[in-house]
Amino acid sequence: MAKPERYQNRIELLQGTLDLLILETLRWGPQHGYGITQAIRVHSGDVLDVETGSLYPALHRLEKQKWITSEWSISENKQRVKIYRLTAKGRKQLAAERSRWDRLLEAMSGILAPKGKESEV
Amino acid sequence: MSRHKRNQELKEELEAHLRMAAQDRIDRGETPADADAHAKRELGNAGLIAEVTRETWGWAGLHRFAHDVRYGARLLRRNPVFTAVAVFTLALGIGANTAIFSVVYGVLLRPLPYDKPEQIVRLSGVDAKANRISFSDANFTDVRAQARSFQSLAEYHFGVEPVSGGSEPKRVPVAYVSHDFFNVFAVRPIIGRVFAPEEEKPNGPQAALVSYSFWKDYLSGQAELSSLKLIVANQAVPVIGVLPAGFRYPEDTQLWLSSDASTKPTSRTAGGWQVVGRIRDGLTLQQASTELSGVAHRIYGQFSEDNYMHDAVAVPLREALTDKARPALLILLEISGLLLLVACANVMNLLLAQATARESELAVRSALGASRGRLVRQFLAESLLLCFAGGLGGVALAYAGIRLLLSMAPRNLPRINDVAVNLPVLLFALAVSLALAGALGIFTAYRAGSADLQAVIAQGSSRLSGAHKNQRTSQTIMAAQVAVTLVLLVGAGLLGRSFLRVLSVDPGFRTEQVVTLDVSFSGQNSNVQRIALLQQIFGRVHEIPGVVEAGTTSDLPLGTGGYSDGYFALINPRQLSPQTLGLIQQYSNFKGELSKADYQALGDFFTPLFADKAHTGLGNYVAASPGYFRALNIRLKRGRFFTDADTVDAPHVVVVSEALARQTWPDSDPLGQTIEYGNMDGDLRLLTVVGVAGDVRGTSLEKPPTPIIYVNGLQRPQKAGDLTLVIRTAGDPSTTLSAARRVIRELDPSVPVKTNTFTRVFAASLSERRFNLLLVGAFAMTALLLAIAGIYGVLAYSVARRTREFGVRIALGASSSTVLKLVLRQAVSTTLIGILVGGIAAYTLTRVMESMVFGVSTSDPLTYAVVPMLLLVVALLAAYIPAHRATRINPMIALRAE
Repeated sequence: MAKPERYQNRIELLQGTLDLLILETLRWGPQHGYGITQAIRVHSGDVLDVETGSLYPALHRLEKQKWITSEWSISENKQRVKIYRLTAKGRKQLAAERSRWDRLLEAMSGILAPKGKESEV
Repeated sequence: MSRHKRNQELKEELEAHLRMAAQDRIDRGETPADADAHAKRELGNAGLIAEVTRETWGWAGLHRFAHDVRYGARLLRRNPVFTAVAVFTLALGIGANTAIFSVVYGVLLRPLPYDKPEQIVRLSGVDAKANRISFSDANFTDVRAQARSFQSLAEYHFGVEPVSGGSEPKRVPVAYVSHDFFNVFAVRPIIGRVFAPEEEKPNGPQAALVSYSFWKDYLSGQAELSSLKLIVANQAVPVIGVLPAGFRYPEDTQLWLSSDASTKPTSRTAGGWQVVGRIRDGLTLQQASTELSGVAHRIYGQFSEDNYMHDAVAVPLREALTDKARPALLILLEISGLLLLVACANVMNLLLAQATARESELAVRSALGASRGRLVRQFLAESLLLCFAGGLGGVALAYAGIRLLLSMAPRNLPRINDVAVNLPVLLFALAVSLALAGALGIFTAYRAGSADLQAVIAQGSSRLSGAHKNQRTSQTIMAAQVAVTLVLLVGAGLLGRSFLRVLSVDPGFRTEQVVTLDVSFSGQNSNVQRIALLQQIFGRVHEIPGVVEAGTTSDLPLGTGGYSDGYFALINPRQLSPQTLGLIQQYSNFKGELSKADYQALGDFFTPLFADKAHTGLGNYVAASPGYFRALNIRLKRGRFFTDADTVDAPHVVVVSEALARQTWPDSDPLGQTIEYGNMDGDLRLLTVVGVAGDVRGTSLEKPPTPIIYVNGLQRPQKAGDLTLVIRTAGDPSTTLSAARRVIRELDPSVPVKTNTFTRVFAASLSERRFNLLLVGAFAMTALLLAIAGIYGVLAYSVARRTREFGVRIALGASSSTVLKLVLRQAVSTTLIGILVGGIAAYTLTRVMESMVFGVSTSDPLTYAVVPMLLLVVALLAAYIPAHRATRINPMIALRAE
């Protein structure tokens, strides 16, 4: 029953959005799967919670597309963990997805903004 | 990286995730136990995550499929009875379809074994009534000169000729072919050459090409051809070439002679030539046909008098060869498809029962993280296994079935030698198996998926949930199965009734104890020689113990040759002037050449006679000896048969069949009438009708009696080159046959002889009908057996599932007969629905069988009354055992079992 409100406020991730989030997170440095979920949660202010069931398939898919690579290393807790790293190809993909996302955002707010003003009147 | 290692790493990765999550929680102050549990809950179904992740690896599909197949195989091994029954049922269905398809493929679909076979066409003329007619040489020559769409065109005719010069005298299929014939087929001799230019000139030297098998067998494969000479129809012919193995066109030709080496009739009405051609590269059949039709119209416009050919068409040779066989074969293919449906229905019900029994297993797998798609794939893998096993069994069955099919295939089925289990047939079997696997897999997955898995787990038993829905489904399948079976049974019933009708037809002769010898005279050219030899044969044959009567005929009823028909003219002898009579005598006795003026006089007399439609008639010409009628027990209706007094020099007489008498002299007495029929045998002497013979079904039992004019073969033996000796014996037919063969050999060793019994000739004429009946009957019986098994299975399963319900009913006082009725009513209502649907379907579908039935309508009331009754009775019998079992349920045991 920990923090039920967090689940209520949770946003369903759009198809493809998770890929963007993962790539963006990895831009700040190599990270393991758990670290990625934590980073996304923290940076979204607890709004976005990536499900493990979506994360690992996504990671393996991105790796297959050679946007990220993985290697085993030892974490700060002396655990053997698999960390993921952004590749040059992934960086290009991130840029592309990012601009697409910006366009989407622009389009969305273009549609939504006027209606918001009207309702204020 | 190995798959195993990758799996290990994935597991490790997820475990690390879990540990880190738990550690974070502990750091935030949760107890280790709580932290562990919460982290696990947050992670979710680790198995499912791993599986979904694995799917992104790409080659997971194949691996998973292999796993599913292994799992399925284990499952099938665990239920050997279910597996065996399902595989056998599928094998029956697939086998029947594969066997029939192999015939359809070999006969109808397989490309002809020639170079670019799609370019080869058969050309036919078209007359004013849109009938296909053969070409005359004049029309062919004009078409060849004018049509530009063809690389090559050739005309030919063929027949059986006596041939000697090799191992023994023989009757051999011979084709007379024109220039370019071998170019049409793009075949070249493997030894020797084709015809040289001088062999393709009128009255040039004749030469022969031989088939590979003829060369091997008859000429002992002698490579040096120059010393080989054959006697073909009394003419010495050198062998100049051997064609490649497999080339036998037309029909089963062994010898090809040049038709151009003899003079051809110039009349445009002198038909009888078949024409084949090869379309030019790059032209379509459509283009060639259009041009050909234009050319034919032009020729008709130019020579419309005395020309039947109004138009001409080109048909792909493969179609032309098989168009008679096509309808029946396609119907057989459809019928085998129906059988497959019935088989499929049984397997569906088996799978349904299986799926219900497996509900717990599926629920558990689903709870353990198997996705819905995963379960569907599991079912697909299982049905794939079943169907492939069934397909393998089916191919094995088809392999055996084809031998059976070929052994009873009708003699007139073209290209039957090409039928075999080959690659396209195997691909067909594979495609059928795959389609079945897909259908069955999706069906079971859909049915199994519809069950409420939660409920199943909660119940902890497989007693409830989807069972009821599955019951409804299996009832529907059962009704459908009954419906399809009804269609098949009606089809078989109609064919069976037709067969009985055909057998009950009076052929007009008796076949028992009659042996036949086909002989061809070669050395006997004059009438005197032929009559002498025939009389010697009769004399010696009568000495054979047991021989009752012997005779000869030019055409045996129901034989393979067919009759030759021609016009005759009704003439009163008083119409003949003494001068004409003299000419006729002179011409017919072959005594001295007629002068051109004499020919002209004869022509002037006969031409107007034959032009007068009111005084001409069409009859089938048969030259029979006096003993022929008694040997075959052909009845005498009026007058007399031939006697020994009817010699060459006595007045010439004929016996006519009742059908001919009826159509020619409907209002007057045929006896004593005189006719002119010399165009059939070159003897112009008038013929007086002395007797009327009973009707004979000459070409087929299913066709009306043949109108026949019998001339006396010992009076007019001109056409007696090929004839059949028929002998009625009281003794053993085979002994008589070998004795008669010996007689002919002793009298003239150069005469080829082919022996048979008339019973066999008769049976062979029914071979097509018997073939269709046996096949459809076998399919219908198999379908009926499958349907019985299906009805039994559905009800037995239903009773087993309702044990508790019946237990309660019995405990509450229901009598055995009430329970019995309950189960039987279910069977009867389902069967009745099936019969109703099947009846409507049969009524519509059997119309395509119009050409296959004889003497009954496709809506034959008797068939439609008996077949549903049969099905209902059979369904009741099949239902009785499970129904009876339901009455014996012990309520105490049934209730305690829960």
